[in-house]
Amino acid sequence: MTHPFLEIRGIRKEYAMIPAVRDVSLNIRKGEFMTFLGPSGSGKSTTLFILAGFQDPTAGDILLEGKSLLSTPSQHRNIGMVFQRYTLFPHLTVAENIAFPLKVRRWPKARIEAKVAEMLRLVRLEGFETRKPATMSGGQQQRVALARALAYDPPVLLMDEPLSALDKRLREEIQVEIRRIHQQTGVTILYVTHDQEEALRMSDRIAVFSKGVIDQVGTGEELYANPATRFVAGFIGDSDFIDCELRGAAGGKAKVALKDGLEIGGIPLHGEGKPGARVALMLRPERTRIDPAGASGGAIPAVVTDITFLGSNVHVATETETGAPVSVRLPFGHPSISALARGQKVGLGFDPAEAHVFS
Amino acid sequence: MLLNFDSLGSWRWVLTIIVVMVAAFLLLPIVFIAALSFGSSQWLIFPPPGWTTKWYHDLFADPSWLKAAWTSLRIAVAVSFLSVLIGLVASFGLVRGSFPGRAFLRGLFITPMILPVVVLAVAIYAFFLRIGLNGTVAGFVIAHLVVALPFSILALTTALEEFDRSIEDAAVLCGASPFEAKLRITLPSISHGLFAAAIFSFLTSWDEVVLAIFMASPTLQTLPVKIWSTLRQDLTPVIAAASTLLICLTIILMLIAAAVKKGLKK
Ligand SMILES: Nc1ncnc2c1ncn2[C@@H]1O[C@H](COP(=O)(O)OP(=O)(O)OP(=O)(O)O)[C@@H](O)[C@H]1O
Ligand SMILES: [Mg+2]
Repeated sequence: MTHPFLEIRGIRKEYAMIPAVRDVSLNIRKGEFMTFLGPSGSGKSTTLFILAGFQDPTAGDILLEGKSLLSTPSQHRNIGMVFQRYTLFPHLTVAENIAFPLKVRRWPKARIEAKVAEMLRLVRLEGFETRKPATMSGGQQQRVALARALAYDPPVLLMDEPLSALDKRLREEIQVEIRRIHQQTGVTILYVTHDQEEALRMSDRIAVFSKGVIDQVGTGEELYANPATRFVAGFIGDSDFIDCELRGAAGGKAKVALKDGLEIGGIPLHGEGKPGARVALMLRPERTRIDPAGASGGAIPAVVTDITFLGSNVHVATETETGAPVSVRLPFGHPSISALARGQKVGLGFDPAEAHVFS
Repeated sequence: MLLNFDSLGSWRWVLTIIVVMVAAFLLLPIVFIAALSFGSSQWLIFPPPGWTTKWYHDLFADPSWLKAAWTSLRIAVAVSFLSVLIGLVASFGLVRGSFPGRAFLRGLFITPMILPVVVLAVAIYAFFLRIGLNGTVAGFVIAHLVVALPFSILALTTALEEFDRSIEDAAVLCGASPFEAKLRITLPSISHGLFAAAIFSFLTSWDEVVLAIFMASPTLQTLPVKIWSTLRQDLTPVIAAASTLLICLTIILMLIAAAVKKGLKK
């Protein structure tokens, strides 16, 4: 039997009886870029710290190529990590920072020098050898931290929101750099962020964290097209939820009734639900159709509350007759736009196969 | 700023005069002593009728003064070293540890700073009398450590709290053992705190007189004790010379501390 490259098996961690991570299991492939995405306090960092060995789990195990890591202290795990805060050694130069893990490993001097030069090339900071961390920008410091973490060729690189302190433009620039370095080195990366755009842009797969558990794991497309929970649906991409009642469920498809009695069937159902249960119907603004002529033939009646021009697209805010806010995104120049005005009665339509019902 | 000096108008002059007077009040005694130590009058007359370095010659010619200075120096160096060492271990416990009563313990370590020194001196004297430490270098060092440690702990806990623990964690993940990471990364990073702790501990011991009077024996006394006992016998300008040198060393150390602090900030 072949082992998964890195296996997180039923990890649980409590701080003073309060669980920070409740039950996290995940298999990571060699060379994969895996992102932990989730809101603040959902247990992403705690999971990463357990992998790094800074915290011991209350239960569960971590296996790298089939061997448990838990009994190995941090310094012998041979794992690389880039932290959220700047962690360069302040009294050492850039070159000395990168050389530190190699000196600890007692590499010969010539080999250290060659490796430091190679790492500086990798992060494109040639010529910065003798600079002190305090004289460099945040982005440069994080690139040195990346070079230091990769210098000893770790099989796994952990990154805990390494870009959260940088401004948007710089962040996007370094995201591209990290992608390139990932492809160039083939290192397995576990990356933590609470920025969905960052997660979608960089990852092979995303694990969505919520309250100490992983709600769903998948590629960005899978999470967007097929969210397993209401939380994932709300976290990946934009979405609106309309309260409704479940009328029937068969073969994974649901039939629901809106508050005004309008029935819609053939919508993928996630979770359990008995007829009569209260459920949420999820729509994506970019997939919802709007009919300026009003509701007819099964469309949801609504009123336009606001129209906002956002450059390449136009955001139309509406409110259904039952009081649920639903937004519609139309590409700039869409013929319907000129026919829409605030206060206008419209009909909202959608493809049931693309919508979702969450119990 | 709330109080802008430039916008104070005529109050500026009042403020300036007050500051000058306070500075004069603080500094004049030192200037006075220094002037007397070079004055030719045996009776410490001010202003001195003439100038001489005779008292310094006398000072260096008297082996008891040199012996006292040497004793002071040895004790101060030992206190400084031990204070930093013990302070460092204690500060790691206070800042990094998570045990009940941590805040209380932290307050407790600072109490010698606010307790009257005489009270401490009597207590230590009584205790040392029993275990026979009075009049020994070890007794001096331990007594001075009691008053020096709070400074050391204060400086080092502050430095350790300002130091981002993740930096040490990064070093450990780089492959260094926790001890090696502390030695090679954390300590150099808090070197300004270590310097401050060392210098303040040294100075605390160097010019401490109350505890020293209790600890001293006829054969073992520190410079401040020697000044004190000489003062009670006769009023000679040699005392002024000794005091001036004592003050000079203190000022030099303060300047070094300031320079180190400035250099480290860069
Ligand atoms: N050392 C600690 N002691 C007590 N509670 C902790 C500790 N570290 C984390 N927690 C708690 O555990 C929970 C998960 O924290 P964690 O840092 O893993 O979240 P996160 O997903 O990384 O959030 P963020 O995006 O804010 O970094 C939080 O509720 C947090 O308050
Ligand atoms: Mg975190």
